Amino acid sequence: MEEILSTLINGLSLGGIYAMIALGYTMVYGIAKMLNFAHGDVIMVGGYLIYVFMATNNPLLAILLACIGCVILGVCIEKIAYKPLRGASPLAVLITAIGVSYLLQSLAQIVFGSASKMVTVYEFGSVQLLGCTIQVSSLVTLAVTVAVMVALTMFVKYTRMGRAMIAVSEDKSAAQLMGINVDRIIMVTFAIGSALAALAGLFYLLKAPNVFNTMGAMPGIKAFTAAVIGGIGSIPGAMLGGILLGMVESVSYKITAIAPYTDAIEFTILIVILLVRPTGFLGKKRREKV
Amino acid sequence: MKKVFALVLVALMTVAMFAGCGGDKNYAAENTEFVIGVSGPLTGSAAIYGTAVKNAAQLAVDEINAAGGLNGIKFKLVAMDDKNDPSLVSGNYSALLEGGMQLSLGTVTTKPGLEYKNLAADDNVFFLTPSASGDDIPSNANGYQMCFADSNQGQVAAKFVNENFKGQTIGAFYQSDSDYSKGIFDQFKKNLDPSVQLKVTSFTEAGATDFGTQIDTLKSCNFIFMPIYYDPASLFMTQAKDLLSPTAVYFGCDGFDGIDSKQGFDINAIPQRVTMLSHFNSKATEGKAKEFIDKYVAKYNTDTLNQFGASAYDCVYALYGAMQQAIANGKEIPVTISASDMCEILKEQFEGGYTLKNAVTGDEIKWEQTGYVNKTAIQYVIKESN
Repeated sequence: MEEILSTLINGLSLGGIYAMIALGYTMVYGIAKMLNFAHGDVIMVGGYLIYVFMATNNPLLAILLACIGCVILGVCIEKIAYKPLRGASPLAVLITAIGVSYLLQSLAQIVFGSASKMVTVYEFGSVQLLGCTIQVSSLVTLAVTVAVMVALTMFVKYTRMGRAMIAVSEDKSAAQLMGINVDRIIMVTFAIGSALAALAGLFYLLKAPNVFNTMGAMPGIKAFTAAVIGGIGSIPGAMLGGILLGMVESVSYKITAIAPYTDAIEFTILIVILLVRPTGFLGKKRREKV
Repeated sequence: MKKVFALVLVALMTVAMFAGCGGDKNYAAENTEFVIGVSGPLTGSAAIYGTAVKNAAQLAVDEINAAGGLNGIKFKLVAMDDKNDPSLVSGNYSALLEGGMQLSLGTVTTKPGLEYKNLAADDNVFFLTPSASGDDIPSNANGYQMCFADSNQGQVAAKFVNENFKGQTIGAFYQSDSDYSKGIFDQFKKNLDPSVQLKVTSFTEAGATDFGTQIDTLKSCNFIFMPIYYDPASLFMTQAKDLLSPTAVYFGCDGFDGIDSKQGFDINAIPQRVTMLSHFNSKATEGKAKEFIDKYVAKYNTDTLNQFGASAYDCVYALYGAMQQAIANGKEIPVTISASDMCEILKEQFEGGYTLKNAVTGDEIKWEQTGYVNKTAIQYVIKESN
């Protein structure tokens, strides 16, 4: 019983991080209709920025500065790499995103070297519950992820900017005709996505305090899988997909016989979902929406 | 016309191809010193290992030369950069051989080594690698290792556990998608006494972020075998420090070397005991190892001081010692001896039970007929429990 409970708790805490990253993917996909494969590497940059700004010895300041840094980076990437391709084929944008991803990884290696570095942001400690030890940082991750999910949903539903986003996602040219500045909306979307990436970088470091230049690659792909399972474009879907994937990973690692195949199992689920329910659990059947 | 031209060209190229195979040409005919060649990563992400080997081998060569060389004939070290990239090995090997190489330290790392060992077998060139630990590296009669082969580390670790933990339960934690880690673990498991209960948990490179589930599995273990590299190990220890018993012992292999100098990682914040089974401890305070460390640090710096260098230092002395023994047994080794003739002489010594005594990485180092090294692995305590 205790074993099962702690496995589930581990799954939840892993899932929280995947959900946080998946939220960023889904925001950008839902509105700009593009898969930003450089999202994982923005997380990496966020991690390095936290590492650098931790020199101030003030975790909150470091996180704030890292968020600002990532927002600037995200907006720059959008302006320089993606904006000129507005209207180009989705494949061209996708390849550009992969190129940006490699560019960021290589730059990080040149600047910080290839050896990984440890950074302790803040030690939350742990609490005992029903005989299990729970890391407080996992609870914080989950709470913040849920809060961000709710806030994003409200923002999209009830603010002018949010509704403009829905309009852009449904029909770009019609939205433009209604007087919505599409470029500005997409820029704001990237800004939000990048800020989420910086937060994801923080939660990653709370869990695994190790920064290196390819740290964003695998969590990025896992979170993308989570976003697709939950229904890419759907904000609650990203949350659901992230938690589900975290659970699967945790349970799979627990069973010794299948533990070495954990990654394969996760990606097999992705394939099955794509075959059986291509829109994911919470994705809408009708035209894509936020 | 074009066709004729093409045919002539093909004929010319074929001739040129065969011209390259000069048969048993002795490239060392002009040598005035014995030439030792090595190929290793001097730049790139693995540069720290190649640099260590080059520095330490040079240190040994300088010492031997200062003491008069081999009956007055001096040694020369030539190191080529392979960036840990197997595709550069063949070029390096040709340059070394044609430059008069008679003795070789092979390669520093395993992947380029798998390329190198076949080239060296074709020309019958003897090599003794300091650190290419793959099981297949010494598969030919002319290849030997100074480091433990991956499977050997597993056997040695199992022997240690069998002697100390009969009838008890221990934990094992390995990386399932790493040749190094899985290779050691498989051999460890195979050689384990049936009375030892094993709790196994693994991770993959992709999953090396959150070890919550793995820590949970190992919770009741007081002894954990961890044949992994220091990078994931440091992460595991950080996450597990309050969750595992503070009296637990982490037991790693040579992949642990360097864990106490990782940037940002304070090993003293880990309450558990950290040990490794290796042939060299870069923090040694006595014996031959300490002497080597002092000499190395005086000449180079502490950044590149590691077991790769210690092993390379011993390699040079092993080659030197084997040549001395051959001469004592009545062999003649002229300075212009061909690599292939040198190989036959050295093979005879190594197969005949040549022993290197009182070395940096072991008090008594011998070799199996398979080319694997036979020496005692020592359990080093990197950090006592707090």
